[in-house]
Amino acid sequence: MCCIYDAWASKAGHENVRLMIDGEFEYELFTEYIMSETVHEKFYKVIRAIQQKISMEAYTVVYRAAMSFEKERLDIIYRFLIDGFKYGGRALYDYRLESVRQINRIAKKAGNESHLFLGFIRFEEMKNRVLFAQIEPKCNVLTLVAPHFEERMPDENWIIYDKKRRLAAIHPAGRQYYISMLTDAEVEQIRDMYENDTYEFLWRVFFNTIGIDERKNPACQRNMLPMWYRDCMTEFAEDKKSCVV
Amino acid sequence: MSEYTLEDKLRILSDAAKYDAACTSSGVDRKGASGSLGSCQASGICHTFASDGRCISLLKILLSNECVFDCRYCANRRSNDIERASFTPDEVCTLTMEFYRRNYIEGLFLSSGVRQSPDKTTELMYEAIYKLRVVHKFRGYIHVKAIPGASQELVERMGFLADRMSINLELPTADSLKTLAPHKSRDSITKPMRLIQSGIAMNRLALNKNPAMDRAYGNDMFKNSIFKDSGMRFIDTDKKLPSARYEREDFVPAGQSTQMIIGATQETDYQIMKVSQALYTGFDLKRVFYSAYVPVNDDSVLPVIGTPPPLLREHRLYQADWLLRYYGFTTDELLSEDRPNFNILLDPKCDWALRHLEYFPVEINRADYETLLKVPGIGVKSARRIIKARRCGMLNFDDIKHMGVVLKRAVYFITCLGKTMIPLRIEENYITNCLTSNDRRDIHKLSDYNSYRQMSLFDDYSFNAPYTAEDTCKALSGQL
Repeated sequence: MCCIYDAWASKAGHENVRLMIDGEFEYELFTEYIMSETVHEKFYKVIRAIQQKISMEAYTVVYRAAMSFEKERLDIIYRFLIDGFKYGGRALYDYRLESVRQINRIAKKAGNESHLFLGFIRFEEMKNRVLFAQIEPKCNVLTLVAPHFEERMPDENWIIYDKKRRLAAIHPAGRQYYISMLTDAEVEQIRDMYENDTYEFLWRVFFNTIGIDERKNPACQRNMLPMWYRDCMTEFAEDKKSCVV
Repeated sequence: MSEYTLEDKLRILSDAAKYDAACTSSGVDRKGASGSLGSCQASGICHTFASDGRCISLLKILLSNECVFDCRYCANRRSNDIERASFTPDEVCTLTMEFYRRNYIEGLFLSSGVRQSPDKTTELMYEAIYKLRVVHKFRGYIHVKAIPGASQELVERMGFLADRMSINLELPTADSLKTLAPHKSRDSITKPMRLIQSGIAMNRLALNKNPAMDRAYGNDMFKNSIFKDSGMRFIDTDKKLPSARYEREDFVPAGQSTQMIIGATQETDYQIMKVSQALYTGFDLKRVFYSAYVPVNDDSVLPVIGTPPPLLREHRLYQADWLLRYYGFTTDELLSEDRPNFNILLDPKCDWALRHLEYFPVEINRADYETLLKVPGIGVKSARRIIKARRCGMLNFDDIKHMGVVLKRAVYFITCLGKTMIPLRIEENYITNCLTSNDRRDIHKLSDYNSYRQMSLFDDYSFNAPYTAEDTCKALSGQL
């Protein structure tokens, strides 16, 4: 958000600016690189401008787009905001604009993935009744899924750990969740808390009986639930004792 | 019998429940609350997909597979020699709560065989969901079956605890029902259905809502829609419980559904769709499920064991069902006495369009929402995107392609700015050939290899469009 502010304020001309995320691109010759620092004031200014000058819905789309795994996401957002500030709230629906097509495309991906994770996340009960789930999402879905579980299980202690980004959403019972980095030592500590859980076994029993053999259709199953989600799902972890261990 | 472990019971009673089609968790929004567990999301959430590709969203079990009924199509009928088991209400609660905490499920789908009597069975089911809601403070989704022949008061009581209730119609005509399910009658099925319908209507009126269920995207406004004037319907006040209760508590807020078995008897698609339409208009059902019959019993009047379930036919029925509920079609537009079955090669909407070429081509930049929805290749989402986008200016083919319009089909039926995308002859045989050469391979896969692709009406799993979980839920043969 701050780099968007900086790019705008630099008056370099939109066509001369490209926004990129540090560490996710290769440096080019003849290009000047300017690092943006996080300044809270700038950050809120941009968010407020999006909400007021475009629309609340546009802010949701921008937020989702920012959580996408697309390398170009920052620039896509920037291009969209240029059009958004020009045309106002209706810009979001104007599919004639390339920027709108792009941002809707990546925001949809992040949104779909987070919706699927609402169902596919699997908690494992630890020794002290803490629920621990591990995921390896393509998009950065933690802040998109955590509010759902906060509302649903307000009195449980739970952690959702994004192994790829080493980020965790941590929810102490009765309080708000927060996002935190986990160190290897901390993850190790959590793994030590794992114990065998009969309900995991019972869930596999249920999962394996509920399918109808006469209608067996692995292609359809794969379509609805792609293989890469399955690594951390209890019902597909029969050989492994647990996806945490 | 009591030596069964919890594992055995779960295996036996989920195996016995698997032929029930509905596994949706949609239609109700309920926030979580401190001091309890659970919430509901109107779109529904799929938690996993079974080996047959069907969505698993609820813990689908029977309370008991003991049954005094002897329905000929059902694996749990009295005359079958199979393992019989029953859960106690407490076991059902524990399983639901523990599965729910680990995010395996959205809630419970409780059905049962008829143990001793319909009332006795219903009492046990009531006890299970009462404990779940009141003792365990469970706020997740509960779908419960009503047992034909149970007392009205019990059915009403369950309605105040459940999100959705259903009673399976089982067979499209009363005659087939009489032949195959001697212990059930049309009357014992429609009576509780009517009771639940009027309960829902009373409850909705008390909440200042239209007494009829909400339908997708203003579908009730379309000129031909089967839901037109649905708010005017009759409310039956033959209640056992005081009506004040309907003003305080939710009653079956996600509506009721039912299921029909397809392919066990000789009814045509036209008859089946007629029944569905009557159920939607007359009983205000939220959903009708179709379940391709899997032969489980060796019976002279039924298909022999090993007959593949009619999956393509089931698929076509679902497609048509969506056309009724989302697209403003009526059964009589899709089928007739002379053409009583759906086309194998073409989906019902294409088939309809080809017989009504006088309505086409449709101009994307001018046609109203209702007309756009009738174009093959344009769905609810893309139609709405078109309406919004064209306020900003004229659209061309490239634009609508990015909105999710399936040009492969739509191209024969639309113009942008007065032009078709490719040179076309608007002529039935020509377009039929173009369309079927596209799809023939897919159809072949569907019908011959017994493989089945899930229909996907919307191009994504949306966040604000309701009922997406239902899109992915598929059917099979029924029991109670």
